[in-house]
Amino acid sequence: MSDETTREFEVEKQMVETPEGVETTRTGRTYVPRIDIVELNEGIRLLADLPGVAENSLDIVLENDQLTIEGFVEVERPSGYELVHTEYGIGNFRRVFKLSDQVDQEKITATIKHGVLQMDMPFASGPRTRKIAVQAAS
Amino acid sequence: MRNLIPWRRQEQDVSLSRQNDDPFYGLWQNVNRVFDDFFTGYDMMPFGPMKNEFSPSVNVAETDEAIEVTAELPGMSEKDVDVSLTQDALTIKGEKKQEHEEKGQDYYHMERSYGSFSRVIPLPRDMVDADKVEASFDKGVLRVTLPKLEKAQHISRRIPVKNS
Repeated sequence: MSDETTREFEVEKQMVETPEGVETTRTGRTYVPRIDIVELNEGIRLLADLPGVAENSLDIVLENDQLTIEGFVEVERPSGYELVHTEYGIGNFRRVFKLSDQVDQEKITATIKHGVLQMDMPFASGPRTRKIAVQAAS
Repeated sequence: MRNLIPWRRQEQDVSLSRQNDDPFYGLWQNVNRVFDDFFTGYDMMPFGPMKNEFSPSVNVAETDEAIEVTAELPGMSEKDVDVSLTQDALTIKGEKKQEHEEKGQDYYHMERSYGSFSRVIPLPRDMVDADKVEASFDKGVLRVTLPKLEKAQHISRRIPVKNS
């Protein structure tokens, strides 16, 4: 039984942890979307499950090397609506990634279809690692 | 045994006392118990859940007029699922396919799951108007609306208490 219970938790949505002393600016819960990261010949592809997120309620921000994906879910609840059985929570999604310098940040593309976000990040051409010459001070 | 119809209370706004008087809850409990008992002692169960197997989570909500079943099925569309209704259960079946299988791909990270699934959601008998059931798919969320029969809508009626 305990074995199965752990497995069951794996498929559950994981909540984003808010660091102590930090206030969230939006109400409601925030979940960590489940993702796949695949390396293709020409770049890296990221797939994220964002059920309920529309194209215009998705925020993707790239700042320095930090990529933040945020998706907002709107739920309409008619009057008298009452949840009688819940297996998943409804809320927004948020996940932060650190991009490696292999990726050409100018050429990243993102599309969302049927609640799945696909981001393609082509590899930067040219040398993938940069060497910084250190000069001895005279 | 993985509960076929797991009951997890995550929404805080649903009061706990409903466990006792909710007809759905009793039904689910019974179904779970039957399956649990049946498989007890069969640890070598060949059909046991595999890691990364896909099993959608389902929410059931109720309004005065209808029962609404929603399931998160990201990446799937109406042609990937099969929704059927019997007298006392709703079945959602389908297969979630892997989006891309390209040569030379290497997984760095894999959290999403794929595969076929089948979920059976028990419904109270004589409650749903089978002819008016509607299912729709939007942004990876399946929504099945099951309107209640007129007579089922009036099962619970508020009785005013008079002051004699």
